[in-house]
Amino acid sequence: MGKLVFNSELCTGCRACELACSFKHERLFSPHLARIRVVRVDEEGIDVPTGCEQCEVAACIAVCPVRAIYVDPETDGVIIDYDRCIGCKECMTACPFGAVHYNRAKGIFYKCDLCGGDPECVKWCVTGGVQYITDLDTVLQLKRTKTAERALRSIAEGASAAGAAAKGGGV
Amino acid sequence: MIVVAFNYGGYAGKILQVNLSTGKITKVPLTKEQVELYLGGRGYDAKILFDNMPPNVQPLSKNSILCLSTGPLTGLLGPTTGRVNVAARSPLTGIYGNSNAGTNWGPELKYAGYDGLVITGKAKNPSYIAIEDESVQILPAKNLWGEGVYETTLALQEQHNGFETRVAACGPAAERGLLYGSVIFDLWDAAGRSGMGTVMASKNLKAVAVTGSGSLEVAQPDRYYDVVCDGWSGILNEPGFKMGEHQALGTAVCVGWGNAQGWLPTRNFRESVFEFADDISGEEFRDKFSIKDSPVPGGRACMSCPNRCKRFGKIDSGPYAGTRGNIEFEGVAAFGSKCGVRNLEAVFHAFMLANDYGMDCVTTGNMIATFMELNEEGKLSAKLAAEIDDDGMELKFGNERAMVEMVHRIANQQGELGKLGALGAWRALTKLGGQKLAEKYTSAVKGMDTIACDPRASKGFGFTFAIASRGSDHLRTHPVFEMIKLPDGVAKEMFGSAEASTLKGYGGKVEMVLYHEELAAVTDSIGSCRFMHASYYTQYPIPELLNKYRKRPRPAKDIHSVKYHDWVSAATGMKISYEKLFEIGRRIVMLERAINTQYGVRRKDDRLPRRFVEEPLPSGPAKGQKFDKKQFESMLDKYYAKRGWDKKTGLIKKQMLDKLGMDDVKKILEKRKLLGK
Ligand code: SF4
Ligand code: SF4
Ligand code: SF4
Repeated sequence: MGKLVFNSELCTGCRACELACSFKHERLFSPHLARIRVVRVDEEGIDVPTGCEQCEVAACIAVCPVRAIYVDPETDGVIIDYDRCIGCKECMTACPFGAVHYNRAKGIFYKCDLCGGDPECVKWCVTGGVQYITDLDTVLQLKRTKTAERALRSIAEGASAAGAAAKGGGV
Repeated sequence: MIVVAFNYGGYAGKILQVNLSTGKITKVPLTKEQVELYLGGRGYDAKILFDNMPPNVQPLSKNSILCLSTGPLTGLLGPTTGRVNVAARSPLTGIYGNSNAGTNWGPELKYAGYDGLVITGKAKNPSYIAIEDESVQILPAKNLWGEGVYETTLALQEQHNGFETRVAACGPAAERGLLYGSVIFDLWDAAGRSGMGTVMASKNLKAVAVTGSGSLEVAQPDRYYDVVCDGWSGILNEPGFKMGEHQALGTAVCVGWGNAQGWLPTRNFRESVFEFADDISGEEFRDKFSIKDSPVPGGRACMSCPNRCKRFGKIDSGPYAGTRGNIEFEGVAAFGSKCGVRNLEAVFHAFMLANDYGMDCVTTGNMIATFMELNEEGKLSAKLAAEIDDDGMELKFGNERAMVEMVHRIANQQGELGKLGALGAWRALTKLGGQKLAEKYTSAVKGMDTIACDPRASKGFGFTFAIASRGSDHLRTHPVFEMIKLPDGVAKEMFGSAEASTLKGYGGKVEMVLYHEELAAVTDSIGSCRFMHASYYTQYPIPELLNKYRKRPRPAKDIHSVKYHDWVSAATGMKISYEKLFEIGRRIVMLERAINTQYGVRRKDDRLPRRFVEEPLPSGPAKGQKFDKKQFESMLDKYYAKRGWDKKTGLIKKQMLDKLGMDDVKKILEKRKLLGK
């Protein structure tokens, strides 16, 4: 069970992950060819890494009319079979995270393949904005810790911890 | 000239030329010959200016040229490669102007397919340029004219591709003719110095919005990948980097550092320690305003940078509520210690106002500090002083309300003080009381005033201020080497004297400045940040030397360093040796000097402001020190000799241009009778 965990609180917006991903897969440097994308929100000073969540019930798999998308049993990564893909764009529109991309030059759709279990992006991330986690318990623990930390920070700021915890959830 | 097909890697391969008078848009291939000699960015820009802009063209005339460009390594995953260079003749100084910013804008321009953007002419009406890959449009910006940088940027992002649109904008202060307008990228990243934003505004150009979806290829991918990995490891293992202070606090860490070392300019350079430094420190900013106080110190980074020196913060309540943005050290010192203001909220606010008005925070802070000193010493006429006194805001050090008010007045050129302030300290004081007054009270060299480091306490920086090609400036060299204690052996091997790594000494400083100046010219031209080689010392051979002088040296394979020559070679496919890299650096320094000699720069202009050679520092660790006049002159002799400049005049000697293969430059200087003897 492998998954990338994106953490905007740790991300600095350096986008090394994007370029590393594009280079690994295409031998080119281009954010547009990266399977991970970082949204820089300058006015709020935050940076949000985004990419494939390797969903358990994957919308992209469900909508693909020719069953070109499958789960790699080794990594649990959701993979597109380029030979089968007919380019109908269903997966792209269905993915709630905007993680299926289109390569105009090659006319194919592509997404994160977890680099076969050895994610390149993670190697280049110096702060932990993107991490690779192979067991779900760790993911859950990470999320719980983050929620707790958020609550603790609110106490320090004098706000009510309950209120902060209630906001909980995603980053 | 034979134009050879351009096949170097790393580059996008073409320059975008926009003539705003005619609306003509041209895409011109880079020429092999020029990139071999000048690489890109700062070097290439200087060549464009030298070749195409006769010296009689005034900075704000429609015939002036404005360049915004990247280098061959911009946007290629190498560490700190989000830089962009802006160059034009400076309206503030009248000489070569240029400024550099770390952003995402530069890489985006390259992904859109252009290494640089060269702007000429003047649009009839306020306009902006929208670039989306091949599509380049000049569009009306009537609704944005007069708006701040913040509104402008957000509006253009909304109009184009949202967060993926990167915007370079000038602000309303520049539109109104303030001489030191900045170009602001991605909301907070300033190419602040020397008035590049004013040149932009003079062309009726409000902004350049870019989105790019292309790809960049390097010449030798496998080698390139290895070199870049080595470079990242070099910075991640650098002793200063590993201390983590910088990642934790951003450049504002220098407030505490400079104060402890006794070079933090205070009250317009009267002093060099600030008794309230703790109040305006990086720690204070983090604790009060940072929203990114995560377990791993967050901060924000330029493209591909592990150092993340930007600090974002917000003020939620009180008189300055609503203030937000990225801070860095220079602005904090300019509005903080230089103005004697200890309230960080006011400092942060003034800094962000300057940002939004699009004015250089350094020059603005210096200007206000200079007014404060003049007023305290009774050198402002009663009428002028009353302009602001009347409102109950006496112009004196430490008065934060007066400081904030002055930012508005200067930006809007309100009242006589506001009008004077928009000229920058040197011109304002010359106008007020002649050159004598300006010499006594400003920190300006060649018309541009000094950043936040007192040259009396740091001799390498001081010498740099005198010779830098854009007026008083540290970034042409940035010899932090003298601020960190390194083994004597390293200093001796690099610069011939152990004194090179001391603040106080003069030994080895000329050699140190020569080295730093050449390397900085190269990195500004390839598109990487000063942090890598002149703040941290990650470049070959310094990590290797540090290892050599360790008690127990590590095996060579464990030592990582940034090898710029390999890096550029692998990316482009040119064959560049370590020595050749420095030769290119020397050539760029020479070219900028050539430009400046055409604008009348001579030896008399390579000098230090009077205060720094005449008034000893009154307090702090460097108490009693000044920059010794005799030492200075002999350093200058030595520097000229090494550079091949005429000792008397400061003009470039023919032989030097021959040696550097600058025949075309030589011919023009010869014709204009500007060669040294
Ligand atoms: S490498 Fe890490 S810190 Fe940098 S943008 Fe990607 S997730 Fe964020
Ligand atoms: S795991 Fe691999 S494919 Fe997925 S985003 Fe990271 S580098 Fe790209
Ligand atoms: S050190 Fe700072 S300015 Fe330089 S590239 Fe990194 S984030 Fe940008």
